[in-house]
Amino acid sequence: MSNINGKVYAMNAITPMKPWKTSVLKTIFFALEHIKPLQQDLINLSFIEFARWVSVPRNGFPYLGNGQAREELKYDYLLFFSNFNGTWNQYIDAFSAVLSKGLDLVWRWSEKFPGSVPVTLFKEYIARVQFDTDYYFTAYPHATANDLKSAHIVQASFDSLIERTGKCTPEEFGDAYLNFVIQVQAYLGDTGQAPIVF
Amino acid sequence: MPNQNGTIYGLTILSPIINDEKATPSHDLQIRSYLASMPVGEDSPFALAPGTHLARLVVMDDVVFVGAPSIEEHLQSKYLVFESNCDGDLDGYLSGLAAAAPQDLDAIWSHCVGYPGAARPQAFVDYMKACQIETTFFFAAVNNKSVPETLRALQTQRAVADFIASHQGMEPARLQAEFVHFATRLRSAPLPKPGSPASPRPIKTGGRNE
Repeated sequence: MSNINGKVYAMNAITPMKPWKTSVLKTIFFALEHIKPLQQDLINLSFIEFARWVSVPRNGFPYLGNGQAREELKYDYLLFFSNFNGTWNQYIDAFSAVLSKGLDLVWRWSEKFPGSVPVTLFKEYIARVQFDTDYYFTAYPHATANDLKSAHIVQASFDSLIERTGKCTPEEFGDAYLNFVIQVQAYLGDTGQAPIVF
Repeated sequence: MPNQNGTIYGLTILSPIINDEKATPSHDLQIRSYLASMPVGEDSPFALAPGTHLARLVVMDDVVFVGAPSIEEHLQSKYLVFESNCDGDLDGYLSGLAAAAPQDLDAIWSHCVGYPGAARPQAFVDYMKACQIETTFFFAAVNNKSVPETLRALQTQRAVADFIASHQGMEPARLQAEFVHFATRLRSAPLPKPGSPASPRPIKTGGRNE
């Protein structure tokens, strides 16, 4: 079991939904995908590298024959996979504090979902529906979501300065370099080993 | 298309695990044992194959009963969940996996129903697609950068921080010459390997805040 690799935590959760509710949820996700301001809270959380919800219809589990028994389910299932920085408690607390309306909109269609506020019942529910990761890979274990965003800002400014360097006098370069330092100074935080999680 | 966010593909695969009561240990346990011993760093099969940002493999034993009055039900099969956040088109990504790490893929997926083996790349791709579930909603914090671009940017960020720290107050002509040299060296530096840890930095002491 390895829910953690470097600075990232892999969370998996599965919740049952009555089939008629799946189409309602898909409509909500469609709106969330196409109306970008609705994603702003998710973006602002800033410690999620990737996350996804996957709705599996009760007759939608892969069936390949070869002796495999067909599933006979009454519920559809909603799978949730998240790749986030920090600890489980920090993540669920932040979800509850910042994203409660959005989360309620997504998970209220799942059976017995208590709401994301108050946080105690929400944590109990997530703990019940979560299952552990057996293998977890990240291409950049030393970096957080904020590190990635910062690194790309530094790279863009750096490329722009290189382009100008050959075309300017030392004095002009001095000014351009100073501007570059001002542009990137907030994005140079050190990456490195993950803190020990208790 | 919910599987795609920008240039990043959100792949979700559920492969049914062989349910054979006579197998000892059971197939799901054999998968778990193998995964527990598979390297997660730069020797990971996902580091050797191109294009994986983050990926996970999970044995899903059953669905969850959340309590009455909901109905208790169970899956007929256990499923191997493969969740990957990767670059580019799906066929190219899966073919790259089959080419780079066939032994690992076979050791894991040979316990799944109908697995054809990685030695037949097209059959492997078709099998994976048969087990694919469409992602309903996919969020990516950075959705327009490939794995090499991200590794390059992290390398640049670190090198630039060191360069700025060690070139404070330098007169412009010398600064320009040293920057050109630094930029040339950095651009020709090999890319860090995916999955590799950052090399530790020495802790600098003696600053004015101590």
